[in-house]
Amino acid sequence: MKQKIVVALAGNPNAGKTTIFNALTGARQHVGNWPGVTVEKKEGTLKHSGQEIHVVDLPGTYSLTAYSLEEIIARNFIVDSSPDLVINVVDASNLERNLYLSVQLLEMGCKLVVALNMIDVARGRGAIIDETLLSSLLGVPVVPTNGKKGVGLDSLVEKVISEVENPELIERDVRLTYGSEVEDELYKIQNLLAHTDYSSRGSQRWLAVKLLEGDSEIIKKIDGLDHREKILEQVSKSRSHLNGIFGDNPEIVLADARYGFISGAIKQTVQVERTNRVNLSETIDKVLTNRLLGPLILLAVLYCVYIFTFNGSAPFVKHFDSFFSWLGENVSTILPEGLLKSLVVSGIIKGVGGVLGFTPLIAFMFFAIAILEDTGYMTRIAFMLDRVLRGFGLHGASMLALMVSGGIAGGCAVPGIMATRTMKEPKERLVTILVAPLMNCGAKLPVYALLIGAFFPGDRASIMFVLTIISWGMALFAGRVIRSTVLSGPSAPFVLELPPYRVPTFRGLLIHTWERTWMYVKKAGTIILAVSILIWALMTFPGLTSEQRAIFQDKQDKLLSNFIKDPVVSIVLKDQEDLNSFEGFESEKTKNHAEKLTDFLKSRNLSHEPQKDADLSIDFQQVNLPVALKYAQYKLEKLRLENEEQSARLKNTIAGRVGSHLEWVFKPIGFDWKTNVALLGGFAAKEVVVSTLGTAYSMGSIEREQYSNLSEQLKNEPGWNPLMAFTLIMFVMLYAPCFVTLVVIRRETGRWRWTIFAMVYTTLLAYCVALIVKTTGTFFGIGLT
Amino acid sequence: MSPTVSKKKCIDCDSLQHHKCLAEKTVKLSNYKPGEKGKIVQICGDPDFRLRIMEMGFIKGTEIAVVKYAPLNDPMEFVIRGYHITLRKKQAAHILMNEPELAA
Repeated sequence: MKQKIVVALAGNPNAGKTTIFNALTGARQHVGNWPGVTVEKKEGTLKHSGQEIHVVDLPGTYSLTAYSLEEIIARNFIVDSSPDLVINVVDASNLERNLYLSVQLLEMGCKLVVALNMIDVARGRGAIIDETLLSSLLGVPVVPTNGKKGVGLDSLVEKVISEVENPELIERDVRLTYGSEVEDELYKIQNLLAHTDYSSRGSQRWLAVKLLEGDSEIIKKIDGLDHREKILEQVSKSRSHLNGIFGDNPEIVLADARYGFISGAIKQTVQVERTNRVNLSETIDKVLTNRLLGPLILLAVLYCVYIFTFNGSAPFVKHFDSFFSWLGENVSTILPEGLLKSLVVSGIIKGVGGVLGFTPLIAFMFFAIAILEDTGYMTRIAFMLDRVLRGFGLHGASMLALMVSGGIAGGCAVPGIMATRTMKEPKERLVTILVAPLMNCGAKLPVYALLIGAFFPGDRASIMFVLTIISWGMALFAGRVIRSTVLSGPSAPFVLELPPYRVPTFRGLLIHTWERTWMYVKKAGTIILAVSILIWALMTFPGLTSEQRAIFQDKQDKLLSNFIKDPVVSIVLKDQEDLNSFEGFESEKTKNHAEKLTDFLKSRNLSHEPQKDADLSIDFQQVNLPVALKYAQYKLEKLRLENEEQSARLKNTIAGRVGSHLEWVFKPIGFDWKTNVALLGGFAAKEVVVSTLGTAYSMGSIEREQYSNLSEQLKNEPGWNPLMAFTLIMFVMLYAPCFVTLVVIRRETGRWRWTIFAMVYTTLLAYCVALIVKTTGTFFGIGLT
Repeated sequence: MSPTVSKKKCIDCDSLQHHKCLAEKTVKLSNYKPGEKGKIVQICGDPDFRLRIMEMGFIKGTEIAVVKYAPLNDPMEFVIRGYHITLRKKQAAHILMNEPELAA
């Protein structure tokens, strides 16, 4: 018995490979990426009568040519990592096309077991498959399975173990021959290969076939071989020879021959009893992709995904948020005032919490997408929308990503970009990723709300509608431009299988959701800590110099002494000690300062310091109201001073200095350092623009839903008018994505290059659009008052 | 390279040919209507596309039935070898068919 068997799962998309993988390995799975690429790699283990089996789930492919990344990955794994055996999951209800991959796997010379999956569906359609005959025709064991119900899996595993332990085979008889002309050429190439040191790896026949097919990946592989020149010379001779005979390229001739072999095998092994049963899937499709109903249902479905993702996750997001604010509060009571506290509370907990707060949202979105994918509706979305979106360099499947990113205002680009994982076309997927951040995500809404509230009250709905239209227009426009410049080149052929509708398994949906969500938490989590600290540092250091701080302290001290020296105040609050104990005093009904003061004085009267009270033959009721008033004034002034200090401090941080230095750049669109630093802050998360504006305008920290003060303030600031507000709205809509989005872009594209590109092009676009808005507005005198 | 496979424009599909092009009367798959079926005579287009589509089972002599067009008339949906697949019209124009007949 081998210590550990390594088995690879290969099969067509939609053949039920994932279902079998889940059924075999259960929860003992690990999801990662194939080295250097963003294609998911799933691995898992199972134990069967003491034998440990390690299962690697290869990407679903129709073939093993070098057509797509997935195919190269699958092929390289079989050749280079030489698993002990390959399980080929075959959809019995779609046998002909599925066997094409099987034939290629046979050719590779690896040990193979065919899992004849969805045998129930095939039988339901009236097809009877002679497994024994099929097995002898292919020369490998064939095991009927039903992955969904777990039928046949035990015998599949037993077959796998017995095949692995079977020492025979490898050079099995060639069951599939290509006719004497092709075979002659294959023989010549194989002969040359036999003299090289490559002979040990993979089947020679397979190598010869691939060379004859002109497979560029394989030609690269034989680069280091001794007789490389000779081999390539023979290959090109053979290719043109066959081309002359068949009038077509050898790869086409071979594909033809493989299907010929398969058709023969099918004729012998499959018997179809004519049943005129109505095909349920086709009936459903008649409605769902109906010319009129289809698009309406599509919109409704997309809307439901949106509602499910954002409303469904809302309570959980709230819990996450309140957990992190609870954590922040508790930590701030433990830690002493100072830099460390600021770092931990404002930097780490707020930053990491803000990002992890997305987790429920992401999980809900992935669950919704898993339903769309597993039922087969996702391909119908692509089918219906392809015509619209391909003109903009996008793909039918881009729609979902754009919707989730904020196609209806309020989405989020993070799950949106992750939703592009379902897209197989690399260029279209990249374009979708790059334009998704232009949509109106939920974090931009507070900024819009602030500015609309201040400058366009009453037009809220219509402005929001306009903004939605603009962001769609911008995303499509940007897609078109990117696709015809940076990412030019022909689009991938739209060859899309429309699988039958299927009822997904709940377990499969959960596994899907869990895997992808966990990837987000793990991968995003590592970098987020670093960036959170960085942003915190930028917005904190160097801050005020000690002299500047002394000036503010001095002002505070003066304010305090003036307050205490006030003739009215000094009657009841003699010194700072009195003030402190008043402020620390807790009263049952502290509705306002006057009531609190009454309670405070009463309690002091009762307890101690009778000599003080003896001095005061005054009616408290008469005196406490003016004192309370003075106190309120004092508090307000104190807060104003503190906010002023915060604003000065912010201006003196790195971010503030950058903001000031950038004033000349942003002057043409009317932004001063306060706006600039707010935009820099928005890099952490777009809603931070509001709170940073608050700090910069000495409004103190602005909580959500409390912007009315800031709105008022902005309205009265010089330089602020509706045009300026709209310019800023446009800029916020389009400029650099927040860093979480950038982290996800880096993750999903695998390249810093594209991450930086996403940051730069969006900001340039934002600047240009803002400039156009500003200039046009100024020229025509729109929105200046 | 043998003379029969010199690179030239295909009359039917306007693509660069790397193979013998048939002169006989054919109908582009993109001209089929929903409910019609027929057999593949020839597949044109660039080599990558041809290989891809042949691997999906589009082989000379194979029967294709058009199921429907997408709501905006493009792409189209077919049944081939018992499964459903969709292609853009532009790609379907590279697949030359015999005269269509009505599917049962």
